[in-house]
Amino acid sequence: MSDFFQLIFQGLGIGAIYALVSLGFVLLIRAASVVNFGQGEFSMLGAYLLVVFFNILGLNYFFGIGLSVIIMAGFGLIFAYATYWPLRFRGGLPVIISTIGASIFLQNMVLWLYGPSTVPIDGLFDSDGFQIGEVFISSQYLAIIVIAAALVLLQYLIFEKTLLGKKLQATSQDKEMASLLGIPVVIMIMITFAYSAALGGLAGILVAPILFVSVGMAGIITLKAFAANIIGGYGSIPGAILGGLALGVAETLGANYISVPYKDAFAFLMLLAFLMVRPQGLFGEKISEKA
Amino acid sequence: MLITRRSALLSAATVTTLGASRPARAAETMKIGVVSPLTGPVAEAGRIQLNSLRLAVDKVNAAGGALGQQIELIVEDDASSNPGAVLAFSRLAERKEIVGFIGSIRSTQMNAMAPDMLKVGKPVMFGGTDPTLTKLGNPWLFRCRPNDSYSGRVIVTFITESMKLKKVALIHSTDAFGTGGKNAILANLEKKGLQPVLIQGYTNNQPDFSPVVLAVKQSGADVIVSYFTNEPDCAVFARQLRQLGVRTPWVGSPSIQSPVTRGLAKNALYGTYAVADFVEDSNPTAKTFADAYRAAHKESPDSGWTYDALIILAKGINDAKSTDPQKIRTAILSIKKFSGTEGEYNFDQFGDGLHGYNIVINNNDKIDYKEHIEFTD
Repeated sequence: MSDFFQLIFQGLGIGAIYALVSLGFVLLIRAASVVNFGQGEFSMLGAYLLVVFFNILGLNYFFGIGLSVIIMAGFGLIFAYATYWPLRFRGGLPVIISTIGASIFLQNMVLWLYGPSTVPIDGLFDSDGFQIGEVFISSQYLAIIVIAAALVLLQYLIFEKTLLGKKLQATSQDKEMASLLGIPVVIMIMITFAYSAALGGLAGILVAPILFVSVGMAGIITLKAFAANIIGGYGSIPGAILGGLALGVAETLGANYISVPYKDAFAFLMLLAFLMVRPQGLFGEKISEKA
Repeated sequence: MLITRRSALLSAATVTTLGASRPARAAETMKIGVVSPLTGPVAEAGRIQLNSLRLAVDKVNAAGGALGQQIELIVEDDASSNPGAVLAFSRLAERKEIVGFIGSIRSTQMNAMAPDMLKVGKPVMFGGTDPTLTKLGNPWLFRCRPNDSYSGRVIVTFITESMKLKKVALIHSTDAFGTGGKNAILANLEKKGLQPVLIQGYTNNQPDFSPVVLAVKQSGADVIVSYFTNEPDCAVFARQLRQLGVRTPWVGSPSIQSPVTRGLAKNALYGTYAVADFVEDSNPTAKTFADAYRAAHKESPDSGWTYDALIILAKGINDAKSTDPQKIRTAILSIKKFSGTEGEYNFDQFGDGLHGYNIVINNNDKIDYKEHIEFTD
């Protein structure tokens, strides 16, 4: 039985990572109707920034995290200016392709600047974790679960309870209408890109002590996070979280009780099943094309 | 400094001699072609290979070179890829004055270049460990590292005879390398009448190994044997293994003692065993080479096969007393009991020089030599 709880904890930990990355996706989908395939690279860049500040320059760990997240927010603006801005009137697809291009560019840029070697980095705590009965609770996983939960709450409050959130939502739903109502659409979208990049960077920083820092560190996680986003409900914040957690737990249990080599397949089988049976996902609304 | 007419004349003469002798000397050198990754993801390995090669060239040249000529390396970049390797070799193949080649440490690149190597018909010393490479019917390939069929055999011999353990949990990547390793372990266990208590494959680049760790825990194994392809995977597994309280002895393929894996996993790998082809404490030649390398490059080498390759090729040429490829081939194949950095070379009819591996143990991040297991059949 203790093994079962161990698997649940690991699954929730991995699931919280998917959920964090998925949140970044959801934000941009909601506010700018953009699927950003550079989201994983935001995580990778955030982790590399911490490597520079903490491992190389020797700054304080938490100060390094803060600095990395702030720089990532700034980077989000540059990213938006380069990938979104020139194509903003061309619909969704050109922007998606442009984010894929940006993601390849960013990977190669880091490869060129830093080289291909994988780097270890310290976690938030000195201790690896602690035992509860026979179950080992990893401190970094626990931190990820707690921080993910806090960010979800924060994001929910921003979107549902603040004027800024309402403006962001209005921008997402109908840019023309929002602009007629006096909402500065451009600023709203820029804020979203900045926040999304900062969030992605933070996710990368939290994952780095577990997965190490490398150019390809976010690859499979980004794909799973996207799957989690669809399982939970495309563009839904609670959906992204629950989808991520469900995916993490399902694949961990599946790997242990069914097959380890097919672990990655479970995520995508789940995705296919949802697309066939419940395409709107767990929390999604049935959205019809606007007239 | 006082410049006298005499010293000025002397230096002028020296410059003239140097200038005049350069083309003549170039024509007289013995040229060896080298295919090496100078750029791309494994460029770091290429740098160490070239450094080792240059040490070997200096050693051979100081002892009189090959057939009285100084050895000169002609290096082409394989860009860490198969197409790059094929292109690099074809550029070298065009140069008729090259008498022999140093090939790649990557089996996939050797497979890609092998047809051209057969056409060129000159000796190629290489480091790729896919056992089939020397069985392709290509007589020009000479291997300077032990092939993979020995790693599985050495691991099984070590766990059953030295550690006296029998209940094996076998963890392997599902890619070509990991599956090949798994098959070698299974075949060798079977020869001893044993079956693993757990065979667990995984796909590369896993963020979480807890299902694998729990499977090991549940299996009741008394030893873990692993073939990990990617270093981060090995490090994630090692850390989770320790976190979940598994203290089972662990013997792994060479990647678990690589500096990258140790850097990532840190104390999670302390006390683990690995098979290793190059270990500087395993023999005096390796020790001398490692000291010379450190003196020249201020770091320790992680491999010595290119050093051995060049020295063996030069010895082949000298023993053959000719640059005729067939005579060099016969001379290399008759090299026996030759002490190299990677062990004692006894070339067999297929062109495999080494027939055993070292076992090493990770003692608090220091890799200590444990024993060498050699096979004669």
